[in-house]
Amino acid sequence: MADSAKLPTPLRYLLQLLAYAAFAAVIGFFSAKPAYRQLADNEAVVKLSFSHSAQLRQPCRERSAEELAKLAPNMRSKQDCPRERSRVAVELDMDGKSLYRIDTPPSGLHDDGAATVYRRLAIPAGPHRFRARLADGPDGKFNYHHEADVDLAPGQVLIVDFLSGSGGFVFTHGR
Amino acid sequence: MAATSFPPPTPSLSVLSALSTLRRGEERLSGTFDHAFDPADNPWRHLGALAFLCLVVAVASGAIAYALYDTSVSGAYQSGLRLQNDPTMLGRLLRGLHRYSADALALLTVLHLLREAVRGHYRGVRWFSWLTGAPLVWLLWIAGLTGLWLLWDSRALYSVTATAELLQALPLAPDLLARNVLTADALNDRFFSLIMFIHIGVPLFLLAAMWVHVQRLSRPRLWPPRSLAIGCLVTLSLLSIAMPAESLGPADTGHVSASQSIDWFYQFPHPLADIASATAAWLLAFAFTALVIALAVLPRMRRSSAKGNVSLPVAQVNLANCNGCSRCAVDCPFGAVEMIARTDQRRHPRQASVIADLCAGCGICAGACPSSTPFRRIEDMVSGIEMPGASIASLREELKRGLASLDGPDRVVVFACRNAADHAALRNTSTLLMRLECAAMLPPSFIEFAGRLGATGTVIAGCREGDCEYRLGDQWVQQRLSGAHEPHLRAVVSRDRLHVIWSGQDIAQVQAAVASLRGGMSGKSSNQASDKGTERVTHSSEAHHD
Ligand code: HEM
Ligand code: SF4
Ligand code: SF4
Repeated sequence: MADSAKLPTPLRYLLQLLAYAAFAAVIGFFSAKPAYRQLADNEAVVKLSFSHSAQLRQPCRERSAEELAKLAPNMRSKQDCPRERSRVAVELDMDGKSLYRIDTPPSGLHDDGAATVYRRLAIPAGPHRFRARLADGPDGKFNYHHEADVDLAPGQVLIVDFLSGSGGFVFTHGR
Repeated sequence: MAATSFPPPTPSLSVLSALSTLRRGEERLSGTFDHAFDPADNPWRHLGALAFLCLVVAVASGAIAYALYDTSVSGAYQSGLRLQNDPTMLGRLLRGLHRYSADALALLTVLHLLREAVRGHYRGVRWFSWLTGAPLVWLLWIAGLTGLWLLWDSRALYSVTATAELLQALPLAPDLLARNVLTADALNDRFFSLIMFIHIGVPLFLLAAMWVHVQRLSRPRLWPPRSLAIGCLVTLSLLSIAMPAESLGPADTGHVSASQSIDWFYQFPHPLADIASATAAWLLAFAFTALVIALAVLPRMRRSSAKGNVSLPVAQVNLANCNGCSRCAVDCPFGAVEMIARTDQRRHPRQASVIADLCAGCGICAGACPSSTPFRRIEDMVSGIEMPGASIASLREELKRGLASLDGPDRVVVFACRNAADHAALRNTSTLLMRLECAAMLPPSFIEFAGRLGATGTVIAGCREGDCEYRLGDQWVQQRLSGAHEPHLRAVVSRDRLHVIWSGQDIAQVQAAVASLRGGMSGKSSNQASDKGTERVTHSSEAHHD
């Protein structure tokens, strides 16, 4: 470095101070700001989420005597139960209009696991009538229904879960 | 000229030219910091080291914080509040240091990556440092992201949910993850322990990966210069006090804030996934990683696929002239010289041996070797270690012929590093330009030799101080000339007639140095262009050969 180009020492220290201040400002600022707008002010959220093992695709069936004879001795179980489960179809309507629908296959290598869904949906806040239907049988017919009126404040979350143990759809919402 | 100019370090000239514009901008930016900082303490030239400092601060403050934290779902949030409300401010300092050093680490890593990219440090021998840098980015992101979750405030809940949504886009069927934080009841201590495990394990792994990252460098600058380290620590501490890193409201699964404060250094993928899509965010991340890897791997694959093979210059050892002093091994910036047991019959116990894969072709070893001296019988003119195509003999020949062809009473020789700039404009009837791969390739004895051959002044020009393309060149030149490091420039050589200019692309500085040597020819010497280069030598014990 050419000495002649050097600035006076106090000025150099001042510039160092500025450099550190700029560094701190960038870190301090972006560590929390600018806030990210994930919803409009008048929006609420619906979370549709469930993990459900649907009905088997085919019912179990008695094997005939000839069929049993053909099988290896250790495989000779009376019933033939295919492991594959049905697809799960869900329709969620809000105020009579479709909000979300999905038709999802079971998980697992042999299509024998639970069907899992998670979706986050922004909706206008306010009173709404929600209607949920689910089909989990081989015929694809909607065999579960639930309907509820919910008044959602801005930012409030409505969770639409499905728990077959609790008899079907469960709507929960925060304050 | 042909004798000292290597083929460029990469076969691809077009890449080089595309880089050169960016490179010039980078150097200008780096130069602006020199107005405030000592060139050796310039923060822009220590980005990796500053990042490492921040990593260590984050790990150390994290270890203390862990001791003070209740790591259960219900206790975590309260622990955060307790620390930030601690009346002694120590809790605030601790939280601030942990958070802001992590944020600074992200920023510094990105800048470090950009700087190394602009300088073309993904190719040549740097491929290893570059490639091992890629996983550091991922590890860093995972560490930072999970750290923000541990506070279990509303931002943490937002981020866990958004990350679950991100993971959902990957073909791993992880829709279940989101269910862990769907309701307050769903979140359990086991899930929380898992997050804690990741947040502690990944940074420790990061430290280990750092060790690998600098494996191929000799004398890696892991720690920034002391003044910078202090400046950085004081800045982070003051920031922690002035702008406390605080928890937001408690996590509430029943509520989403319309406007969410996020830490952009680690949580930027969430808005990105919202605006584009989760798939697009992943594609971007994978494309970035693929690009980083390709930059290092493709040129190597091309080179090893024999055809069009442009072999890089690799230092060669000449055993007859190697006394095993190990100076070359000490000075090599890339650890490319090993000292091994003698393979010939000579009495010296050891000899130098070059690991070709690690050699950057800088020639610094040739500048270090005691047998690289022009004061020898011409038939012995082979150094213990030297560059093919730029041997000591050819350098001597070029210097001799060049000086003989100059006119006038003031004959100046400029030894210029070809990586710093194209110094061709300096060449005229009374100035000899000698291009070197690195300024430190010049054995100091050549300066004395040039004087004997009638040069009235010598200029050594290289990259900016602390900015050497081969990492350590400027350091060795300064130490050799000041007598702090072998081989020395003998004390009898007039320092008034020698200017060392770390000017980078700024050729005007070199021109000014040449002019000042000319101006000083008849009267007093003028040293304005150089400080360290003209330091008096305090002791000298130049050994010319073995
Ligand atoms: C946690 C993040 C990182 C830290 C703390 C870090 C730190 C360092 C340090 C201390 C050095 C030694 C500098 C020297 O001695 O000259 C270095 C060198 C290097 N780093 Fe990193 N690094 C990080 C990430 C990266 C990344 C992401 C890349 C690029 C993909 C990268 C590329 C390089 C290269 C190419 C060098 C060699 C520079 C040279 O040979 O002059 N680093 N790094
Ligand atoms: S030229 Fe010499 S100093 Fe440079 S990398 Fe190769 S062995 Fe090391
Ligand atoms: S500096 Fe020269 S003499 Fe010394 S070990 Fe290296 S090659 Fe041999």
